[in-house]
Amino acid sequence: MFVVIVGCSEAGFFLSRALAATGHEVAIIEREPHRYDLLTENMGMVAMLGDGADREVLRMAGVERADAVFALTGVDATNLVICQLSKSLAASTRTVTIVKDPKHEPIFEELGIDVVVNWVQLALNALEEGMPGRPLRHLMQLQPTAMEVVCVTVPTGADAVGKRLGDLDLPPESIVSLIIKHGHASLPTRQTVVEAGDEIVAAISIGLEQAFYDIFTGV
Amino acid sequence: MRVLVYGCGQLASGVVRSLISDATEITVLGDERSQLERLSSFPKVSAVLMEEPIMRDYLMEAHIATADAFLALSTDDHENLLVAQIARRMFNVEIVVCHVEEPQLQMIYTNTGLSVVSYSVGVLQDVQFAINST
Repeated sequence: MFVVIVGCSEAGFFLSRALAATGHEVAIIEREPHRYDLLTENMGMVAMLGDGADREVLRMAGVERADAVFALTGVDATNLVICQLSKSLAASTRTVTIVKDPKHEPIFEELGIDVVVNWVQLALNALEEGMPGRPLRHLMQLQPTAMEVVCVTVPTGADAVGKRLGDLDLPPESIVSLIIKHGHASLPTRQTVVEAGDEIVAAISIGLEQAFYDIFTGV
Repeated sequence: MRVLVYGCGQLASGVVRSLISDATEITVLGDERSQLERLSSFPKVSAVLMEEPIMRDYLMEAHIATADAFLALSTDDHENLLVAQIARRMFNVEIVVCHVEEPQLQMIYTNTGLSVVSYSVGVLQDVQFAINST
């Protein structure tokens, strides 16, 4: 595949290296002369010195024949413009970007960006895992539904312990999909009895985390 | 008429001053406290100070959903294009005007349902005219 990467600091740099290493053709657009020198002279990468938010620069970098454009400048508004300019050059080019403001994710999707990576939200989810004793983990978002997959570890002494799944008052928009008991995963049924230490994996509507968490951990 | 103005630099301030009238209620969103204080001292003008990078929350605070017009007039072309598209597409504001300094962007974004204006196009024409007429 041929991809154009606009902005080559952290994310752009590691992505371009990873893609080049797996045999993809990568063209970089970098605005900073110092970084541009580093990329081309020291690392032998194919790069162009210029402003990626300029349609002519995008065209010269080959966006019209690119399979994907990655807008990774670190500025949300600039990334949006780069993606939209790329689409105006080649409607079939896949546009991918990172947003810093988590609330921009749905907006960018509405405005036609194909893949929007919500950097802060991903980092927050990972950081939350580091909280000691917090047994709710966000595993993944279920695009395009408004649901996510979470995992709750049932603590000793929780009200739910000893009850059957079918007897718990679970919110309607929650689907318990997997239960891990003593290291073994199995498909849960309404008859499955909850025990302390069980890991409950479920798809739930975003926003139901607290209600779901309380049911399995409440005392 | 309720007008939201995004930006508080020279252009935005000039437009705000020219729009002031009894019939027009203006809310200015900007990141320069002193400039906003000066503008909100005019009658029927209020201000929202944006201190954190959470654009959507500030737009809600300025009651964007009930605005009749939204004018993106900050000094950053890309910010203007982003916020103007949010106003148009997410909040269905009827009149959306977006200023860009880069004439190229004006041409590209003109067919996206926004009124994209650029004084630099006028400046370019004036310069060409001045040179050609000597």
